[in-house]
Amino acid sequence: MPRQVLEDTLTADSIAADTALAASGDPSAFERLYRTHVARVHTLVRRMLDADEADDVTQDVFIRAWQKLSTFRGESAFGTWLHRLAVNVVLARRKSVGIERGRFITEEGPLDRASGRPVTPELSLDFEEALARLPEGAKQVFVLHDVEGYRHEEIARMLGIVPGTSKSQLHHARMALRRHLER
Amino acid sequence: MNDQWNNRLSEYLDGELDSTERAALESHLATCGDCYATLAELRQVVAHAKALGDRPPTNDLWAGIRAGLTPGRRPGVSRDTTPVRRRFSFTVPQLLAASIALVLLSSGGAWLAFKPDAGAVGVTPRPGTLLTPVTWTARTDLAVAELQEALTRNESRLDTATVRVVRQNLAVIDRAITEARTALQSDPGNTYLNLHLANTMRRKVELLRRVNALVAES
Repeated sequence: MPRQVLEDTLTADSIAADTALAASGDPSAFERLYRTHVARVHTLVRRMLDADEADDVTQDVFIRAWQKLSTFRGESAFGTWLHRLAVNVVLARRKSVGIERGRFITEEGPLDRASGRPVTPELSLDFEEALARLPEGAKQVFVLHDVEGYRHEEIARMLGIVPGTSKSQLHHARMALRRHLER
Repeated sequence: MNDQWNNRLSEYLDGELDSTERAALESHLATCGDCYATLAELRQVVAHAKALGDRPPTNDLWAGIRAGLTPGRRPGVSRDTTPVRRRFSFTVPQLLAASIALVLLSSGGAWLAFKPDAGAVGVTPRPGTLLTPVTWTARTDLAVAELQEALTRNESRLDTATVRVVRQNLAVIDRAITEARTALQSDPGNTYLNLHLANTMRRKVELLRRVNALVAES
């Protein structure tokens, strides 16, 4: 058996064991799960919300995960289950603050907002900055589709829109980021 | 650049156009340099998105999370929950202890057995001491099948949390068994692997017997 396969097996077994232990009420096992998954969850939250909300919402995701561990059936990997939970928490958060944000929508065009800063040599970091400046709807769809790999039908269900809107938002997001990259 | 086609480039890129639309767009791309260039840039954006990495938070958030975990309580169990009828249950940590140790030992053991410098662990048996797993594994497989059938018949008498934990443990043990059997196909004479497989199967039998015995007492 190749070494990488063994390492993956070891990791998967450890996570499965920690998940079972955490479900039985072991905070130490849950801390290990946190350490394994926090980067992915925090990055997802940071991309879909404002960066200054990311810490609070990430903590909320893990506390909810602890509370909902009894509903984890093991049909998917723990990481997949946690990721979906994080998406749901983020979307609920956005929904709850969305009305207030609506008051501050500017007249500035979404493509201009996304491409309005100069490019630095650190392209990926700059790409993250451009992503953060996308209009909310386009950013949500872009992160869920192109970064996280969800399909338009799934995104439409999650966001309460039709798949056509999801496709349209994705195209707008890509066009905005394309302009950013070419500068 | 034709806006009609430009707006369909992402769908084209994602393979979401039907064959007629795809053919029409490809015909357009053959004659429109702007759309062709835009398509290449959109490809670049998608590639960037897929290559984005994860970054951990600057601050360690665990202390805040730990403070939010209800102490002395199993996660996800409401304090107000009143069972509709009495169901037999037993201590989850007890069930877990054996399998957790097994997971760590089995994975670690397999790792040691297959790492390149594992000569001390991957023992080559002396002539005459080669284990023959075929006989005993067949017997154990039969015992396991009988016990699993009994558990399936009676598992409705266990509470759902216990059933879930038992199933998780059995899954962990089954993975270890599969891994050991796969490894043995490559190295049938490996003493460590033979003993490891035997030990893992014995643990599975013990777990199933224990669960069935407890169900019978309920």
